[in-house]
Amino acid sequence: MFSEQATPMAQGLLAPPSAEPPTFPRVPVSGYSDCSQPFQLGERSFSRQYAHIYAVRLSGMRPGLECRARSRWGNDIALRKLSELQAGEKCCVVGTLFKAMQLQPSILQEISEEHNLVPQPPLPKYIQPSDELILEDELQRIKLEGAIDVQRLVTGTILAVYGTEQDDGRFLVEDHCFADLPPPLPWNGPSSNRFVLLASGLGLGSVSGEALLSTQLLVDVVTGQLGAEGEQSCAAHITRVILAGNLLSQNTQSRDTINKAKYLTKKTQAASVEAVKMLDEILLQLCTSVPVDVMPGEFDPTNYTLPQQPLHRCMLPLASAYATLRLVTNPYQANLDGVRFLGTSGQNISDIFKYSSMDNYLEILEWTLLAGHISPTAPDTLGCYPFYKSDPFILTECPHVYFCGNAPHFQSKLLQGKEGQRVLLVTVPDFSVTQTACLINLRDLTCQPITFSSFGADSED
Amino acid sequence: MEQPRRITDSFPRRRRGSRRPPGRLKDKKDKDKDEEKVQVKVRDCSRSPSQPPPDPALLEMLRRFDLSWEYGPCTGITRLQRWERAQELGLSPPGAIRDALLEHRDNPDVTYRWVWDGMGC
Repeated sequence: MFSEQATPMAQGLLAPPSAEPPTFPRVPVSGYSDCSQPFQLGERSFSRQYAHIYAVRLSGMRPGLECRARSRWGNDIALRKLSELQAGEKCCVVGTLFKAMQLQPSILQEISEEHNLVPQPPLPKYIQPSDELILEDELQRIKLEGAIDVQRLVTGTILAVYGTEQDDGRFLVEDHCFADLPPPLPWNGPSSNRFVLLASGLGLGSVSGEALLSTQLLVDVVTGQLGAEGEQSCAAHITRVILAGNLLSQNTQSRDTINKAKYLTKKTQAASVEAVKMLDEILLQLCTSVPVDVMPGEFDPTNYTLPQQPLHRCMLPLASAYATLRLVTNPYQANLDGVRFLGTSGQNISDIFKYSSMDNYLEILEWTLLAGHISPTAPDTLGCYPFYKSDPFILTECPHVYFCGNAPHFQSKLLQGKEGQRVLLVTVPDFSVTQTACLINLRDLTCQPITFSSFGADSED
Repeated sequence: MEQPRRITDSFPRRRRGSRRPPGRLKDKKDKDKDEEKVQVKVRDCSRSPSQPPPDPALLEMLRRFDLSWEYGPCTGITRLQRWERAQELGLSPPGAIRDALLEHRDNPDVTYRWVWDGMGC
């Protein structure tokens, strides 16, 4: 691992400087290809309704789910549409889930004048014991009850349920299944140690500058300006840095200037301008040394709906002069040295966190992989572009590394699938809060956190 | 029975002399040409003059294609886009519809991006 290679050469720090300073060439860039074309939108048209994306999601995932249903409950089960259901008959139905939640923020309730209600404040979780699950297919919908965890599931998931229709019109579920892991990709990983650094939530432009020292330490480690020859030789094995969203802090999003009078705000500058300048300088230091992929996040200056388009290069004049800077979409998919990476900046996971009883970000990440869809709650509670031809968030191939940014803690897990899939699940923590980034070794799919803590006012040394 | 009425009938599409460059009306030499052009426009109303008008049976077939639920929602996209999407999803839509759509590509009643109240494009 990273630190094990470093320790034997630690004595180099106390030795006199050598006549020829040693140089450590970074491992050459080999085998990078960007696979995020489905997430890049050309001309955008918002004159469509969201019915199309749900229709293509269902028809795109239906064949896979019917296969899974047959392999799980037998080849001779009856696969019915909701319109063909007969009361008392055991059958299997494939459809989209809808969770009717009482606490779900609804714009119609907010503007309803008869209620005269104050709009409810944002809650961490919107689940309630009285929530109900409804299964919808192309034409009809039916309420579900039985062996199905209502609190855990979210709207927009495509699943297959096995059970019977009751006399009162509800469907009694005996078992249900998801699309499960998508088919595996062939493994072409490198034979020597190659590391990729994943960091997210740099949070530039925040009121407190505590994380700035840690950010500078991160840049220094990657560019090889920190540590003895041991650490420098290890840093030379870092082939890429991926910044997974939230490069700017939430403070840059304040919009008080909109409500103030024009004469008060004439000379003020948006907080994000200064923050983007800082980001440009940090990226310049990184880009001179290592290829960097920059993904936008929730608070970054790009569009709000998923898939978020890359930041524009005019915002980063210094860093975009280098070809090593790649501004990419959110979600991001690429082949690095034969290893398929797929990840988001965390909006999909945090949205599911709000509407589900699952508490652990890694558990939610694993669940989205098993459900076969990156972000099932889009477009219901998470903004999404109105696709009509195909849903690009459906997982068709199993990535080797599946990550999400801006998680509260660092967690990682290696998932093994039945068809030989090996996926490394990584939740990249928020750097401005935890000062932790992740190093992924591409050779054996292991992951290690690296923390840059600086001495704060309350530490003892 | 007459042709079934549509919401778009209240907004008839007319192309009156939009191809004539402005300011040439005063030119006496071109007046005859302009008169001919105007006459041709009046006869053909909103269709391009080179193609014969699509017959009502074709329009009826296309409406049935719009309303069939197997191919997904029909609002907000052109019929050709919907046909191609159905083809890619493996729902095998009838090929005759695609031929008809490509044949009458210029006719807005045929290509038909079904809109609500004239919103959208």
